[in-house]
Amino acid sequence: MWRVTLKGLLAHKLRLALTALAIVLGITFIAGTFVLTDTLHNTFTSLFGNVYQNVDLQVRGVAQLGSSGGSATRNALPQSLVASVRAVPGVAAAEGSVQGLNVQYVSPQGKAISTGGAPNIGVSFDPDQRVSALRLAQGGPPTTPHDVVMDLGTAQKYGFKVGQTVRILLPFAPPADFTITGLARFGTANNLAGATLAAFDLPTAQAILNRVGTVDSIDVVTSPGADKARVQRAIARILPPGVEVVTGQTVANEQTSAINSALAFFNTALLVFAFIALFVGGFTILNTFSIIVGQRTRELALLRIVGASRRQVFRSVLGEAAVVGLLSSLIGLGLGVLAAMGLEALLGAFGVTLPSGPLVFEGRTVVVCLIVGVGVTVVSAISPARRAVRIAPVAAIAEQQTEADIPLRRRFTWGAGITLVGIVALAYGLTKPLIELVGLGAVLIFIGVARLAPAVARPMSSVIGRPMAGMLGMSGRLGRENSMRSPRRTAQTASALMVGLALVSAIAVFGASLSGSAVSSINDALNADLIVTPVSNVSGAVPNAVVPVAAAAPGVTASSSIYTGKFELKGELNTLTATSTKDLSKTVNLAMAEGTSGSLAAGQLLIDTTTASAKNLHVGNVVPVTFAETGRSTMRIGGVFKANALIGRYLVSDGFYRAHYASTELPVAVLLRTDGSPTAEAAVTHALSGYPNLKVQTKAQFEQSQRAQVNQLLGLVYALLALAVIIALIGIVNTLMLSVFERTHEIGLLRAVGMRRRQVRAMIRSESVILAVFGAVIGIVVGTGLGIALSSSLRSQGITDIVVPVSSLVVFLVLAAVLGLIAASWPARRAARLDVLAAIASE
Amino acid sequence: MTLAEPAPAGQRSDAPAARAVELRKTYGSGAATVHALAGITVTFDRARFTAVMGPSGSGKSTLMHCMAGLDRPTSGQAYVGSLDIAGLDDSDLTQLRRDRIGFVFQSFNLVPTLSAGENITLPADLAGRKVDRDWFDYLVTQLRIGDRLSHRPTELSGGQQQRCACARALINRPDLVFADEPTGNLDSNSSSEVLEFMRRSVTEFGQSIVMVTHDPRGAAFADRVVFLADGDIVDELAAPTADSILEHMRTLG
Ligand SMILES: Nc1ncnc2c1ncn2[C@@H]1O[C@H](COP(=O)(O)OP(=O)(O)O)[C@@H](O)[C@H]1O
Ligand SMILES: [Mg+2]
Repeated sequence: MWRVTLKGLLAHKLRLALTALAIVLGITFIAGTFVLTDTLHNTFTSLFGNVYQNVDLQVRGVAQLGSSGGSATRNALPQSLVASVRAVPGVAAAEGSVQGLNVQYVSPQGKAISTGGAPNIGVSFDPDQRVSALRLAQGGPPTTPHDVVMDLGTAQKYGFKVGQTVRILLPFAPPADFTITGLARFGTANNLAGATLAAFDLPTAQAILNRVGTVDSIDVVTSPGADKARVQRAIARILPPGVEVVTGQTVANEQTSAINSALAFFNTALLVFAFIALFVGGFTILNTFSIIVGQRTRELALLRIVGASRRQVFRSVLGEAAVVGLLSSLIGLGLGVLAAMGLEALLGAFGVTLPSGPLVFEGRTVVVCLIVGVGVTVVSAISPARRAVRIAPVAAIAEQQTEADIPLRRRFTWGAGITLVGIVALAYGLTKPLIELVGLGAVLIFIGVARLAPAVARPMSSVIGRPMAGMLGMSGRLGRENSMRSPRRTAQTASALMVGLALVSAIAVFGASLSGSAVSSINDALNADLIVTPVSNVSGAVPNAVVPVAAAAPGVTASSSIYTGKFELKGELNTLTATSTKDLSKTVNLAMAEGTSGSLAAGQLLIDTTTASAKNLHVGNVVPVTFAETGRSTMRIGGVFKANALIGRYLVSDGFYRAHYASTELPVAVLLRTDGSPTAEAAVTHALSGYPNLKVQTKAQFEQSQRAQVNQLLGLVYALLALAVIIALIGIVNTLMLSVFERTHEIGLLRAVGMRRRQVRAMIRSESVILAVFGAVIGIVVGTGLGIALSSSLRSQGITDIVVPVSSLVVFLVLAAVLGLIAASWPARRAARLDVLAAIASE
Repeated sequence: MTLAEPAPAGQRSDAPAARAVELRKTYGSGAATVHALAGITVTFDRARFTAVMGPSGSGKSTLMHCMAGLDRPTSGQAYVGSLDIAGLDDSDLTQLRRDRIGFVFQSFNLVPTLSAGENITLPADLAGRKVDRDWFDYLVTQLRIGDRLSHRPTELSGGQQQRCACARALINRPDLVFADEPTGNLDSNSSSEVLEFMRRSVTEFGQSIVMVTHDPRGAAFADRVVFLADGDIVDELAAPTADSILEHMRTLG
């Protein structure tokens, strides 16, 4: 029996290849993701190990808010502490250092240098190479207030040389020119994953980063032969409260795990898309094996006649699936390694130069890929295998070939049941919220709808095919008839595309609702005419020096700065917004639901309606809060404002903010009101011409850029979903190829009585377009439902408007039709090339 | 070039319906060479019903395929009317088959997704041409399939299917109809019906038909019988009867 299976496989290499392709692509995605993230993990672990290899101990502020890892908020130390630590017996060297963000180079072309949102870091350069994370590659250390050491990555990319002058945009001072005294690596890497780095001598760095008289941490090297643990205890004894001393290894581990949790998120996100692709691949496998079992009815029945048991037939079909799954997974693994290399190169092309390291190929990658690849294939083949088992031996000699199929009623009951369970799971998951349950619900809905689809396949194909029959005459007519021929085949083929388009549509609805809500609430909340924001909106900020310059521009009548900061409310980490109170109403329109905005000036906290109802807070309530620099205190809630995306959930005055965030106080945006004169915008732009890291936008432009941000994210998700759609198209190609093969004789007859090749192609294409549009229609309907459900469940998170982007959905539909045409090109060519005579003779 | 000679009945040129000159078809090479057609020369006259007989493998189907533009001869010429079809490309051959030749095969004659009526008008529909309704009605009445037009082929008997195929072969008023064992799968009643119709169409409106058959009684409906063996004509018989054909077959061995 095993030999029959293998022979069957080898006899149909093309069929094997097409079926395998769906799985190969999915596994490639998984393997590539694992190899890439494992490699990055390994690289960063060894990078941080290298950077901290000589640092024995580090003195630093105790973590203040939220997490205690590498990304925790810590307070600065008095610089005098450096000398005290140095004096501890067993300490060979101790150097204080500072670091901060928004220290940005200006390129020779006058552009602010930034790499896809990676931070622009400014640090102090440790003269002692033992404690320094920076390793000088060329030149020497910075010694005067006008010296800078640049990271090698930026220097290479923009052609900076030692001795040249470079302009740097500074957070707390106007832009200034510096002389490059040296180029340095971060540990072994030319830069830190795309971040730029500017190193100054300690006093200069302190001035630039608003840290005069303080350091962020003190790196310690112990004397040779000293007991490090004892030195650590000795240092701990002299430290003031709120300061700790940890080993260099601890710091390295924290940095690594901070990067790794980001990598883990990246890994999970990519794997989700890989599994979506495989899920769609599963439909393709199911469909292919169904058709194959149908076409092999006679052969399988003959096997039964000569004595094969039901179980042997079942195993034969599943065995074929297992072999296909195994081969595909192995190919996918190989391609995955190539894909990881390609992705790394792609990131490099975007300027994210990663520290070079060998590709990491874990045993886990192989195991997961093989299990998933074989698993998906075999599970998908179970239903066709059961159908094969039901073939009666007499089918071998029967005149009429009838496909064994589950009765429509039972299929319908099952389909409806699964869909309902899916809807319930989804609804429950959304309200909880439980993301796993949402995913499970969506999967069940897809499976349920796919089981229901055959019931509507015939009438829907008929409707979709009507215009085609009208346009293409007999070819369209026949294409339509062919698509109506086997509702199950049509539905299964279309189901794969259904899943892909459902996800795309759901994301489109969600994205439109998100940007619609954001734009409308910003529109309501914004009174300003011009908005000044950093070009890079990931980690950027507006230099402090800009605020008075912008406010003084001719035509500007009022300005307020917007700040953000982390704090804890009732022990929970949150982000607050701060704004100037003086001209508040001229720039921001706070629709107060309770209390007054005037309470801001009195140092009270304003919250939005969503937070108020979620936490059951009202005006007059006093809540416990914690700030990193000033510690625990309480705040009175002075008002509740209508939720809007501009302000966020918590609002305080700028005065309050300055008192609690002295060292990091930088606006994220400056809002300007003008006298309405058309020259005001040009005046502001001119006033800020020395700041290429800033952009000045009108209200309309600002809204547009908010929308663009959401669209950019959508674009990324669409790109990741494209693989699922491609696999669905492979499914269509596969079905059409099998159908053409099955209808060889019929096509030969049509050719004999005068059908032109062009007409044959048009016939196959019509069928393909009908399949694709059928899948797309169901997908768009299901996806719109999912998107609306998802958006509605996030009402409390600020998605107030549900927007169904009809034009996008129509574009998807048209795109699906075009993709159907493309999928048909190969089968259509094959059908048109059929040797008429051979087709007629194959009786 | 135009393939469709303007050809309402009676105005056709004097050329025979089809003609083969030194037609040769060779399969394989070396020791395995098979001469399916060994330089055959034959003329099929207009408004005549010709039967082609011969043992299995004698080249009957190959001759038909080469003369109907379904297959290309290794050498020699095949003419439909006065048109040498050797020089035609696939597109021209397709048009030739669609507009000037009718086919009836032994089985699988009909497209399963189309109704009987649609199958009959298929060549006209493929050409995007209007169907001559009177002609259509006449054919279906003659063939007694008027009440079956909306049925799918699977719902028709074998005889009804072959009669549909006959109607389809004639719907475009072709120069020539090729029928390859059209009654091979039919019982004697159904066979007679098909054969009688073919005979009538030759007699009554001058259709030219070439029919391959094994059955002497079927061949007796023809005006002339051509006997093939090993890819060439070995004999022929005018105004045949079943008995004279049997007689001939016996002498040919
Ligand atoms: N495609 C082919 N390849 C090789 N030989 C063929 C092919 N088609 C037909 N033949 C050979 O040509 C000869 C004539 O075949 P055919 O015309 O089908 O005979 P008939 O229809 O009289 O039974 C036979 O010997 C047959 O084996
Ligand atoms: Mg034959």
